[in-house]
Amino acid sequence: MTVQGIIILDLIGLVLLAWTLNLVRQNRLYVGYGVIFVFAISTTILILSVPTCLAFVMRVVGAIFPVSALTLLAFCFIVFILIYVLTQVTLLSNRLAVLVQELAIKQAKEWAEHGTGREDSHAPEAKERL
Amino acid sequence: MLGRLPCLWFKTARELPSEATDIDRVGLYRHSYRWALAVPCLGTEDVKMKNLNSSPNRVLLAIPAYNEEVTIDKVVHSVRECVPDFDLLIVDDGSRDATGQILQHLGVLTATHLCNLGYGRAIQTAIKYALKCNYDVLITLDADGQHAPEQVPDLYQESINAGWDVLIGSRYVKTRDYSQVTLGRRIGMQHFSILVKLITGQRIYDTTSGLKLMRRTVFEPLTHWHFVDFHAEAIVYLMRLGYNIGEYPITTAERMHGQSMYSTLSHLKYPLKTSMMILLGVIEAELTRRRMNL
Repeated sequence: MTVQGIIILDLIGLVLLAWTLNLVRQNRLYVGYGVIFVFAISTTILILSVPTCLAFVMRVVGAIFPVSALTLLAFCFIVFILIYVLTQVTLLSNRLAVLVQELAIKQAKEWAEHGTGREDSHAPEAKERL
Repeated sequence: MLGRLPCLWFKTARELPSEATDIDRVGLYRHSYRWALAVPCLGTEDVKMKNLNSSPNRVLLAIPAYNEEVTIDKVVHSVRECVPDFDLLIVDDGSRDATGQILQHLGVLTATHLCNLGYGRAIQTAIKYALKCNYDVLITLDADGQHAPEQVPDLYQESINAGWDVLIGSRYVKTRDYSQVTLGRRIGMQHFSILVKLITGQRIYDTTSGLKLMRRTVFEPLTHWHFVDFHAEAIVYLMRLGYNIGEYPITTAERMHGQSMYSTLSHLKYPLKTSMMILLGVIEAELTRRRMNL
């Protein structure tokens, strides 16, 4: 692979890395997904940047040529889409968690203020459905 | 437990005479239906408890519980006996066993998650509840019976005396000996302890303790950002924002029942997630400081 190709791919990797970390910081990407992406992107950058590493990987997987430009672009697109989809999953998961927490707090406050709420709650039925 | 507090003995609410509601005469007594199952009477050595009683602070003791049907009963009774003046909240984190029914039977204040959200979210629920209900202090305790509630008054008194924003009940601050835990956990604990020292300049020997005391000052910062389990990442975040965090030596017992919430896979995932959140916490704290012009 040419030096120009390596630099461009490294830059794309660094942008993806920064984007992923920022999404985790903003709580828009679950930290567990973030760890996987950071690990995968960092490894890819390392392999691309060190020619002997790339040659070793080529030998291990039995590839004859380094990956083509089109395949790399497709790979970047898939990673982008994957991160986007997972941010949506994380957002929905966060909203569900906030909803569950608010219901729990509301129930506890009713119980603390009036001594009612637990008996009236539909927690067991709802738990079964969830 | 009674050996540590020989001056306390207990009566059920029904055994108390009707005129026994006078705090001065009967002693330490919580006149509340929430505490009606076990009412401690005061002995001569309860100066510490009297101090707690006279404290203007509203204190919430929160216990996150997930599938703890075997131990929750003992833990709740033990907490009621040892710290009757603190309000008690159990966060039932979507337990699939009989934990919910036991809590209902005990008549204890419970916030029930309809599905399992994890330890961090359960702690967050307790913090949100404490914030909404205007509590001044929140103390968290594990539901597996590892923490002795007898140590809570000392922890509380120390936080009042020294003015800590967060005070961690630490298993290692006194002995500094991690040899009693497995190799994997030992490496993890030391790794985070050293990482906290490198980033904040202050060593915290027990970053994973479930016994913590938090003052109201930290409730908002802890609900504004997100954390994994409110361990090292929360400690670093708060320290970088300028809050005082200290450790107070405690002892813990073996788990009464069940397994640790950290599975074999979690031992791999936890350090990675927490390390990432520590680094992001440093950035977030810096951004927060800039936003608030601190």
